[in-house]
This record gives sequence, structure tokens and C-alpha cells, in this order.
Amino acid sequence: MTLSSNPDRPRVDARQKVLGEALFAADQRVDNLLHAMTVPASIAKGQIRTIDAAAALEVPGVVRVMTFDDFADIQTTPASRGAYGQPGKGYQPMTGPDIVHRGEPVALVLAETLEAAIEGAESVSVEYDEAVEFTALMEQDGAEEASEVFTRLGHGDAEGAFAGAAHKVDVTYWHPQQHHNPIELISTTALFSEGKLRIFEGTQWSSALAGGLAGMIGLEPQSVRASSPYVGGGFGQKNGIQEQSALVVRAATIMGRPVKLVMPRGQLFHTASYRPRSLHHVRLAADTDGKLAAGLYRTEQQNSRYDGYNPLFGETPPRMYGYPNWAGEDRVIRVDTQTPGHQRAPHEHPSSYATECALDELAHELGMDPVELRLANDTDTDPITGKPYSSRHLAECLRRGARMIDWGRRRQEPGTLRAENGHRIGLGVACGNYKASMSPAIATLRLQANGVCRISLSGHEMGQGLRSVIAAELIEVLGVDPAKLDIRIGDTGLAPQMLTAGSWGTASVAPAARAAALKLRANLVELIGRDDFEGPAHVQLAKTRRPMLKVEIDTVPLGEGPQAIDNLRRGLPVTTGPEYADFMAFSWIAHFAEVHVEPSTGRVRTRRFASVIDCGRVMNRRTTESQVKGGVVWAIGATLREIGETDPRYGRVLNNDLAEYLVPVNADIDWIDVDVIDEPDTRLNLSGVKGAGEVAMVGAAAAIANAVFNATGKRIRHLPIRIEDLL
Amino acid sequence: MRAFSYSRPRTPEAAVAAFTDAGAGARYIAGGTTLFDLMKLNVEQPNHLVDVSELHGTDLIETSGDVLRFGAGARMADIADDETIKREYPLLAESLWRAASQQLRNMASVGGNLLQRTRCPYFRNGAGGVYPCNKRDPGTGCAAIDGLDRGQAVLGTSDACTAVSPGDWPVALTALDADIVVLGPQGNRTIPIADFYLLPQDTPDREFSLEPGELVIEIRVPKTAAGRASTYHKVRDRESYAFALAAAAVALRIEGGQVRQAHIALGGVATKPWRSREAEAALRGRAPTRENALAAGRAALAGAKAGRHNGFKIHLAANTIADAISIAAERSAS
Ligand SMILES: Cc1cc2nc3c(=O)[nH]c(=O)nc-3n(C[C@H](O)[C@H](O)[C@H](O)COP(=O)(O)OP(=O)(O)OC[C@H]3O[C@@H](n4cnc5c(N)ncnc54)[C@H](O)[C@@H]3O)c2cc1C
Repeated sequence: MTLSSNPDRPRVDARQKVLGEALFAADQRVDNLLHAMTVPASIAKGQIRTIDAAAALEVPGVVRVMTFDDFADIQTTPASRGAYGQPGKGYQPMTGPDIVHRGEPVALVLAETLEAAIEGAESVSVEYDEAVEFTALMEQDGAEEASEVFTRLGHGDAEGAFAGAAHKVDVTYWHPQQHHNPIELISTTALFSEGKLRIFEGTQWSSALAGGLAGMIGLEPQSVRASSPYVGGGFGQKNGIQEQSALVVRAATIMGRPVKLVMPRGQLFHTASYRPRSLHHVRLAADTDGKLAAGLYRTEQQNSRYDGYNPLFGETPPRMYGYPNWAGEDRVIRVDTQTPGHQRAPHEHPSSYATECALDELAHELGMDPVELRLANDTDTDPITGKPYSSRHLAECLRRGARMIDWGRRRQEPGTLRAENGHRIGLGVACGNYKASMSPAIATLRLQANGVCRISLSGHEMGQGLRSVIAAELIEVLGVDPAKLDIRIGDTGLAPQMLTAGSWGTASVAPAARAAALKLRANLVELIGRDDFEGPAHVQLAKTRRPMLKVEIDTVPLGEGPQAIDNLRRGLPVTTGPEYADFMAFSWIAHFAEVHVEPSTGRVRTRRFASVIDCGRVMNRRTTESQVKGGVVWAIGATLREIGETDPRYGRVLNNDLAEYLVPVNADIDWIDVDVIDEPDTRLNLSGVKGAGEVAMVGAAAAIANAVFNATGKRIRHLPIRIEDLL
Repeated sequence: MRAFSYSRPRTPEAAVAAFTDAGAGARYIAGGTTLFDLMKLNVEQPNHLVDVSELHGTDLIETSGDVLRFGAGARMADIADDETIKREYPLLAESLWRAASQQLRNMASVGGNLLQRTRCPYFRNGAGGVYPCNKRDPGTGCAAIDGLDRGQAVLGTSDACTAVSPGDWPVALTALDADIVVLGPQGNRTIPIADFYLLPQDTPDREFSLEPGELVIEIRVPKTAAGRASTYHKVRDRESYAFALAAAAVALRIEGGQVRQAHIALGGVATKPWRSREAEAALRGRAPTRENALAAGRAALAGAKAGRHNGFKIHLAANTIADAISIAAERSAS
């Protein structure tokens, strides 16, 4: 079958979600449940001297207060929070008296009701040994520059080319700490049923949760089943085992009862992952025609003392344009904080912010239109490896986006375009890229003669619309009715579950669903002896008097072997890309922003946005556009609103709630216009899919910051850009 | 949050009696949008709540006499939507609908609104010994003054406290010389709004001139011809659902192109709702030109004192007053 373009379709689970029928992990009804609440450490570093639980135990309903004595035998492994797969890294709180970051759990209160658990937790009093000095921010004394240098990418003689170039910029950009704040809080529910440990947790990787916890607790991996029925926003914060996961499981073992913990948002600012602050030094050079001569890019990322979260800022920017010379390196600075981690467009958002703003500075220095500068440096080969790109329609994205935003009205001279009300208008452009990766997947597909169709598959629904992607392939190949479709994902009891992150969900799951559907169709064709039928496959099946057909399929991404399926089953990371044997693969996007700045107050509004995405074949126009709009909204927040403010004297995030951690509200968002290239990338996979969720945000912040410069003439080299910067 | 007892009397007198009976740990609760938050944060730990949300007759909105009368139990949303208020006193309506969110305004009472507590994060998020705070735990010190003070006040501060008085509605009421009618164990009294809020000085824990057990029952606003040419102009970090970085309540009576009467109050930059007689004097007798408006704005901020990161508020507030004067003047013309 040839690939068809997918029409606009509602999400298959839209109705359930709107009615509140979709049950998330913490919504599961569990009998005989104990509620747990954590007591957060009130110091940033040091040691617990005593824990007095007497008052807590007097709160009616409290049944037990657990401390590090109860958890001392939990092992820290490469699966633990903060290890990122690296042996010797990571940290599991409550396995001893040491405190390594502010807010880590120091006691766990178990009670018959949530209210009692909360009151109990507030009644525990913890005393610590004398204060130990700590460092909260990478700019402070005591911050430790790690000896390792990461992603040292380069080719040619960047220093030499930079020194000799006619036009150059040498600038430093700063990116703040940010927090994902998905609406669904992080929770763990653990119970034993039929001799198996059952865990419900909103996670993007249930196999690693099951396998990793088994390892930490000392259980057989087969005896643990993890379910993540829906994720109420993951954005990378739910990639792995959380600080509380093993504690809740162990508590359930000790108590012989189901235990549930939903960590309050105020605590999540200190226990869950977040985007770390980072510093970006960018040097770019070009000749007088605007041909890029060199790029030099050095970054520093703030990490905890113990984590394995590698800084990979340098991976994508050299792939944006045809840099003949490039040098990049990334370093980490370690301080006494909790582990940072992936947050939507993890390194690509900050790195594109810095490098695409620097490119705008270069365009200004050259006196060249920034769209022209980007087009002049378009390339179809990766400068670093010399391999061609599997597909790249970036120039078309730029041309279309420029038309959509009416780029022709932009003035090169900043501060010259005014609205009728006197507000300054600025237009800005920036581009983004994100690696096209894939994961192996396992699918079991069953079609009944009455039209009911069930598929069990690897992958997690995080609201990005993965179920709708699976549905699209089954509708196209088998003509199934979405109302009769039962899609089961996110549960290790049904299929091994891949990490669903890094924009590879659709590119992994769509080909698996398609391959399963094609195999089932082939079986059917064999059965009925003809392949020229039209309409739903089950109608043909019914004629054979067979009640159902069932197929199982493993899909292995390009360049991988059977080992990949093995690793998938074991909950190990298995992803490909962006480098493949014959090519490099990326998704691409061009963003255009129009901002209006009020002269008397410096208030910025993003009046219009135009974004054109090249993500391969579009599996669902509606959810793809939603992804891009969501990415743009994230970028508006990241550029103009969001910052986790740490007071270095306390090492604590000061604005640790949703009233004070400012994300955009409806009134902040105006017109966001999205277009898609929708060209299948069939060199990559059967479905022709690259990925949309991450690239959607890449470059969008720079488009806004560049528009602010165009409106005001001010280069603000930090985020967020706030009133005081423009007043 | 700690367990507490709860009562729901039907008359103001019974509410005061219930409060008095319960003693020092009692609190009134209306919409609960301030109080519950602070209870969850352990800033407030009442042992008894007297629910005043169902007191008879306290949801009054009366606009027909010489004074506007608002029962303490009237909802923010209802006054914000009142057609007469929107038309004759836009600054009152705007101060309400530019506050919080629709959901909160549906719950919150305008009496409880007067008594909301500061958003200073060191005050709110620091109970249980996390951050020192003279307002929450007198004598412990102020973490904000040498800390992340971007949001702190530049007017009316002391060495003990720089926390901003957060409300919008109280600023509009301050501009219009409202009176607060309260009922206490000793009976009724009326407090001019200028005396209702206290400067922090050495006792930032004392924010209101209410005595323990006193119940706000009504807010009275003398009618003024300046009401129509008025606005509550609010500048914040996002376009909705945020507290003010700077806000100005301005009401003008303009005759023959000159400002005859000016009411100007400031929010978001001061430790109490801040009436600026200086700005009013600077504007009176002059045309509401941009230049004069800016001069009035600067006059209001003449005594301002910047901290470490909040100096921009001085400039911002002056411009916000100027913008508000322009908006009010435009409304006078129409
Ligand atoms: C997220 C959020 C955003 C907000 N944004 C804004 C904003 O932008 N601008 C703004 O102005 N406000 C804002 N608010 C504050 C909101 O307006 C107040 O919380 C609300 O007006 C308080 O009214 P209430 O009836 O809920 O008071 P409650 O919470 O019930 O009570 C508040 C206080 O008043 C006391 N009290 C209540 N009624 C009486 C009475 N009749 N007599 C004596 N004492 C009484 C209580 O004991 C308590 O101390 C926001 C609140 C939240 C939660």
C-alpha cells in the first residue's frame, strides 16, 4: 500500500477525556489503601540527627512513620533517579541520614486518609547536625567544574576561520532554570495482587520503572507489572524512576497493604526533574556575502553533584546550516541541588535560543535580512559527518512561514515599525531541528469478524495523541471503525514498553501499528484469495466464517538487530538516530514571531506566530498542529514568563507553586498559525514519520527574542525577557 | 493543615459571638480563597472557623443612594458585573475583574478581599522555619530585604518588612475614600479606609486596624462625579491571573480641559494601598496632557526606595499612573 496523507480527525480518546472517563494512574480505585505523605528536608546539605515521630503518630489515622532505617536496603542503581543509566551516579533519598539537596524526603507518613497523612507529615520533627556549607548556583564559589567535556564536536579550523572573517559576533546567552509543571502530579501507587507487584505511575517508561524498581528492591523483574494508563503531561519529567517510587513500593511491602503517594506540587519543585540553568557562549562569523565561515559554541550546564545528566547542547546547532568550520564543547558545573533532566526540547530549546539569536545578531551586523541569511546557508549535507540528510525541507518552511507572517513589512532598522496605538512592532525569525530517532516496538493485533479490533503495543499516551496515531494506521490499512478500536499501551503486562520521549513515539509506534496491520491484511488476503477488496477488512473476514485474526510483530528500527528487541524487553534504552548508516535524520521547523511592545511599560505581547514544520508524514493533522501550537505556547512562556527562582542562601526554589511560577494564560496567547510540509521520509521508516513534539518548540524562543530586538533595538541575552529589561 | 472545628452562624451578631467564644485561635472564613491557601501552607493554623459566607443580608450591592454600599459577603464577580458600577465607577469594576481568575472571583467575597495577605514568597512559602519573616514570626528577621526582592514594595517599607499589600480592590477603594463598617464584641464602628491598613514599621505582623473578633459587614463608597472618568490600570507579568507589579487607580473630574478633582492611588508597589496626594496635587488645575500625567506619576514615587532588584518598579509605577490618567481623561471626554 502506498502512504496516504492523513485527514483531520478528532482524537480517538477525546470524548473520554472530556467526560473524565480516562483514568490516570492516581485515579485507580484500590481497596484497603494507605495514603502516604513525604516530609521534605528543610536543609540543603548535611545529616539528620534525630527524627521525632511521636506527635505524628498521635494524629488520628496515622499508622506508621517510616525513616531511613526502613529503607536502608534499597539499592541505588543505574535505573535510580539521577543516574541516567550510568553506574555510580544517581541518588535514592532516605537510604541513610545524609541530605544532599533541599526538599528531599526524610520521612514517609502512612495513614488511613490523605488528610491524616498530611497532618502527620507536618507533625514530624527532624533535627539536623550543624549546618554544612552548600552551593546552590553555578555562578557561586564552591560550584565545581566537572573535568569531563561532553560532545566535543568539530571540523575544520573554526578558530582560524573566525579570526580571519569579515563579520562576526561574540556573545553570551543565559538560560534560567525552568520546571515542567504538568497538570498531572507525580504519583506512585503500589499493591500486590496474585503474587505480583503492581505499580500505577504516570510514567513515560513503564518497563524501566518495573525493571528498575525490581533491581532496586531486590525482586524478580517478571514479578513486577507497571501501568501508566495515561500521562497527564510528561514533557520529560516522567522519564524514569522518581524519588518516591521505590519508597512507596517498599512501604507497601512492609505494610502488606496498597500504598499511594501523590507528591504535592510544592515538593515537586525540589524532587522532580527540571531544566537546569545554562550559559552559552556563541561566536559566529561570515563573509561579506553572508556565507557562514565559522561557528564556535561553548556551554555550561548546572548539574547536581551526583547525577549523570549529560549536557548535549552542542549536538544540534551545527546541523542547522552549512558551517564550513565548527567547534563546540559542553561542560557541566556541579552544585548542591537535585538532579536536573530532560524538559521538552531538553538541550535543543536553550541551544537554539542562543545560537539562533546569535545568528540574528550576525544578520544585523551584516545588514542582511535574517531569512535571507538562513536561506543562503541552507545545506543538504551534515557539516559534521558529511552525510546527506534523509530529508530537509527547511527552505520551504522558511518561505511559507515568511508569507504567512507577511515578512515583507519587517524593517531591518529596529524600532521603526509602529502600531496605531503607538506600540512598537517587531518581527523575528528562527529555525529549529531535532533528531529523528526510533525505538523498537512490539505489537499484538486482533481483528474480530464483528469489527472489534484490539491492539496491544509499546508506547505511552502523554496527551500527544499516540492512540490517534495508532488508530490512523489501522483505519488506513484495515478500515477499522475508531469506535470499535481498543488500544492498549503503557502497560508492561501487555507488551514491553519503550521510553516514550525524544519525539520518537510516533516514528516508532506508527510503523509498528502499520506493520501489524499490513501483516494481518496479508493473512486475510491469503485466506480469501483476493487483494482487490474495498472497505473494512472485517467484512471480508466475516465472509470466511472465522471469528478473528491475530498477528504479532516486532519492529526493529533501521540499522538495529534482534538485540534491540531483547533490550526493549529488559527495560533498557534502545534508540537510534540521528546518525544512520547512509544519512543523518532530523525534523525541521521555521518559526516567525510578531511582537508588540508597549513603550511606557515594556510589556511584550506575541501577537502572531507562524510556524511551518517538516516532520515527515503527518499522522494526524489536528494533533500535529496542536503539538506545534503547544510548543509555541511553551516557548512564549519560556521566553517571557518562566523562571524557577532560587535563593542561594537557602538553595530552595522560591516560587514553588503555580500562582507564582508563571506560565502563559489564555490571555497571553494570540494567533498561532501552523502549516505542515507533510512529505513522508520513507528512508527512515515504513510510515514515513520523523517526529513533531520536540522540534515544535526548538527555535521558537529565539524567534520571539529576535522580534523583541526588531521592535526595540534591545538585545536581551537572558530569559525570561521581562518588563524591567525593556522599560 | 491541622484539624479544626467549624461553625456557620446566620447573623453577624451570632458570628461575632461564635468568634468570641472560640478565643484567640478563631478565624472568620468567607470564600476561603486566601485562608485555605494559608492554612495549607501552615501560615495560618486556626483551631476554629466561623463561616460567614451565609450570613443574612451581607451580599448587598446598593447603588441608588448617596453612597455605594457593598455587603462584605458580596462576591467579587457580582460587583465586577454590576452594570451601574461598570458604567459609573469603572475603576471599581476593573479592580475586581483584573484580579485573580473568574473561578476565584466567583468564590471570593469583597470583605475577605480587604484582608488578603501579602504574596511575599518568604512569608507564604516559609512556614515551619524555612525562611525567617517578621510578618509571620515576629522578630525572626526579613529574608526578602537581602534576597530576591523583585516583587517587593518601594513605598512605605521599613527595616523590618518590604512586603507588598497585594489587593487591587482596596486600592480602588482607597482612591475613592471608602469607609469600612465593622461589628465587634463592643458593637459597630466605621473605619475610614485610610486608617484601615497599617504601615509595617516595627510590627509588620499588624496589618489591619481591626481588633480581634471584629467582623467587616459593609463597605461604603461616597459617590463622586469623578467616578465615570476613572480606571484601574494594572501592569503585571502576564496578561491575566497575576498580581500587580504596578497598578494605578485614577478618577478625575475634568472641566474646561483642566483637572478639577483627582483621586489617585497605587497598588503593587507599596506596603499598603497607597493614596498619592502628591500626584493629585501635581495634576490639579492642569490639563491632563502626557507631560502633566508623567509629572504626577513621578510626584507619587518621589519618596520611593529601591531594594536590590525592584528599582524598575519606581519607573514603571510612574508610567502606569501616567497611562491611567490618560485612560481616565479619555473617558471624561466620551
Ligand atoms: C491564585 C490567586 C490569585 C489571586 N489574584 C489576585 C489578584 O490579582 N488581585 C487581588 O486583589 N486578589 C487576588 N487574589 C486574592 C483574592 O482576591 C482573595 O483571596 C479574596 O478576595 C479573598 O476573599 P475570600 O472571601 O475568599 O476570603 P477568605 O479567604 O475567606 O478570607 C480572607 C481573610 O479575611 C478574613 N475575613 C473574611 N471575611 C471577613 C469578614 N467579613 N470580616 C472579617 N474578616 C474576614 C478571614 O479570616 C481571612 O483572614 C488571588 C487569590 C489567589 C488564590
